[in-house]
Amino acid sequence: MVAQRKLMASPVVPVLLSIVVLLVVWEGAILLFKIPAFVLPSLGAIVYHAFTDTGRLMGALMATLGEAIGGYVLGSVLGLLLAVLLLLVPLFERIVMPLAVAVNAVPTVAYAPLFLIWFGLGGASKVALVALAVGFTMLVSALHGLKQPDQAAVNLMRSFGAGSLKIVWRLRLPVAMPSVVAALRIGVPRSMIVAIVGEMLGAYAGLGRLIYESTQQIDLLSVWSAVLVASLASMVFYGLLVWIDQRLVWWR
Amino acid sequence: MKFMRDETLSPAMPAAAGHAVPMLELVNVWKRFGAAQAQTVAVSGVNLRIAKSEFVTLVGPSGCGKSTLFNMIAGLLAPDDDGSLLFGGAPQRNGQLLGKVSFMPQRDLLFPWRTVLDNAILALEVEGVPRKEARERARAMLPEFGLAGFADHYPHQLSGGMRQRVALMRTFLFERDLMLLDEPFGALDALTRTRMQHWLLELWARHRRTVLFITHDIDEAILLGDKVLVMTARPGTVKSETRIDLPRPRDPSIVLTPEFIDLKQRLLAEIEEESRKTFAQEGIAS
Amino acid sequence: MNVFMQRLLCSPALAFVGLALVWELCVHVYAPSPRYLPALSTIAQDAWSVWPQLLGGFGRTLLETVLGFMLGALFGCACGTLFTYSRWMERSVFPLFVVSQTVPVVAFGALIVIWFGNSLLAKVMTAFFLTFFPVTVNTLRGLKSCDPQRIALMRSFGANRLVMFFKLAVPSALPQIMVGFRVAIGLSLIGSVVGEWFGETVGLGVMLMEAMNADQVVRLWVVMFACGVMGALLYGLLTFVERRLVWWRSES
Repeated sequence: MVAQRKLMASPVVPVLLSIVVLLVVWEGAILLFKIPAFVLPSLGAIVYHAFTDTGRLMGALMATLGEAIGGYVLGSVLGLLLAVLLLLVPLFERIVMPLAVAVNAVPTVAYAPLFLIWFGLGGASKVALVALAVGFTMLVSALHGLKQPDQAAVNLMRSFGAGSLKIVWRLRLPVAMPSVVAALRIGVPRSMIVAIVGEMLGAYAGLGRLIYESTQQIDLLSVWSAVLVASLASMVFYGLLVWIDQRLVWWR
Repeated sequence: MKFMRDETLSPAMPAAAGHAVPMLELVNVWKRFGAAQAQTVAVSGVNLRIAKSEFVTLVGPSGCGKSTLFNMIAGLLAPDDDGSLLFGGAPQRNGQLLGKVSFMPQRDLLFPWRTVLDNAILALEVEGVPRKEARERARAMLPEFGLAGFADHYPHQLSGGMRQRVALMRTFLFERDLMLLDEPFGALDALTRTRMQHWLLELWARHRRTVLFITHDIDEAILLGDKVLVMTARPGTVKSETRIDLPRPRDPSIVLTPEFIDLKQRLLAEIEEESRKTFAQEGIAS
Repeated sequence: MNVFMQRLLCSPALAFVGLALVWELCVHVYAPSPRYLPALSTIAQDAWSVWPQLLGGFGRTLLETVLGFMLGALFGCACGTLFTYSRWMERSVFPLFVVSQTVPVVAFGALIVIWFGNSLLAKVMTAFFLTFFPVTVNTLRGLKSCDPQRIALMRSFGANRLVMFFKLAVPSALPQIMVGFRVAIGLSLIGSVVGEWFGETVGLGVMLMEAMNADQVVRLWVVMFACGVMGALLYGLLTFVERRLVWWRSES
């Protein structure tokens, strides 16, 4: 009885249960409503196809990951640096923030065609696109976090003789960490998706390109396999981030 | 004026000894937290009686279980099975006390999205009183609480003292025979506190509810109460009951009279002893 | 210098006007290729030349965005509430929600058209898909962060759970829910635009695609500006609602 209760209390069981339910509903619906494969392929077929097509999928994945991670790192770093800069120079903030808000009011996807023109069909345009998407979120979150310490805390630091930069380093940045990490977390699935969207509009390689071609060829199974791979990669990427977060930000 | 010092009342003493049924009675109330081995006893074997319209103050060192005791009286926590809570002579089961006692916790806990008036009528709304009527009642009470003209203000626009008064008003409007006030003036500066104490006594003299008031300030305990209960260090129990026979109405200058100072000396000694025990406990624990 | 002048000089409007002037000047002076940076005046002219189509597209995309947002917000709030009060549902279904966001909805564009037909519904569905998750997360977080001491207070008044939900939990969660709405409305716009890439005739996303395919760079800028205006409009509306509804500062 105790063992049963312990099992029910574990965090894994409910998830497994719903995954099973999902599988059952999926396959069941296909069988019950006689759904044709071009509307909804069976999960088994998708996985099987993914296995047989591994080479192509992996190649595409590598390209997309490169763009996603590159843009993610670039955007996060630039966003954070810009936030610090805006904090240190209030004049910049008053000029840059309205512009940043305006730039962000335009959906990221709307920039894709422009970036393709500016940076070409290669990986660079996707990196730029991802950097834009991630960077702005980071800028807003980081700025919010950096501004959190109240004047009393800042004055305390100043009474110790700390200059502006030291205050940022020793007081504001640690306090901003949770906000920064939150932005980093949101950024992960976003970067993969933005990279793929960019590739769908124009690219030489990558999962997005693969999806586009497969759609053209009405090879829906390949589309689903690519989506499966993208989703899994995103989750691994996210898991990696959480792992790094726990190692690096251990003081929390 | 003479004062009397009662020994801790034994629970066996029947209520039929010429006294009316007490408003609140705690019999052997315990509260333990945690599993068998690593247990903390917050409250141990508390016996106390509060008669109708009495103003009882409770003092004790920090961590002695005062707030736990209050939570039990308010019905938020159930006492352990070996004790019982009697309200108006009737034993209360788990949760039965909810809604029967007017409880004011340490923080004012005003809802920032509600005006002063709407905060004051919160308990009435929960009770089911129609809003219009509740607002009328609250509006009538505003001047008494020094909040006239602030009905439509929001908590963030008020000072700490005023917010505390809104919370008190909320507690008063919730017309229950027993009021529990958990260090309501603790966060206020000394000057505001003195004013609030004076004002509370006037209010109580007019409305004559039964009040149980927690404080860590001995002066406050003696000034306000008909009797002072001293709690021991953890595990908390009632160390002593001291009747305060100082005349009412009590002027703030009463703190300088010899009778007051006498009382304070005795109670101070008791509390010091318990405070030392608390520090010793913490020293061992760390 | 009186107050009005000061506010004017510091307002974002000035930053925009300033930027617009700098833009025009730079283009006239440096004359970069119009493929990279057309003049603002050129963009305005092009916009004027297609204003019926632009207006129609604007209206259509706005409709899709708002509908998708409302659907997603409703569903998100409901789910957030459900997850708050049912640990079991949270543990089992919420992880699926999280995973759903790693799936690039753009990949299924063609599929969505097959499922929902080439209709408004298909675009609303795409927008909905991106909207429900941020609202769920923020509703959940908002409801869970309800002050336990206030809950105890309500209990001491004899309040039952329903009363506590409406009088305490909901108002106290509103600021956080609003945060979710802000994120959601931006994503809803993205969803609509992307949804329109697949088999539509009217809409800003359609115009974007057409401009890209026809290599009309200036048109791209026009659409980007239109999207930006819509984004600003939506965010502004939300801010207005927020100020009226959730004006109190949430206590730390």
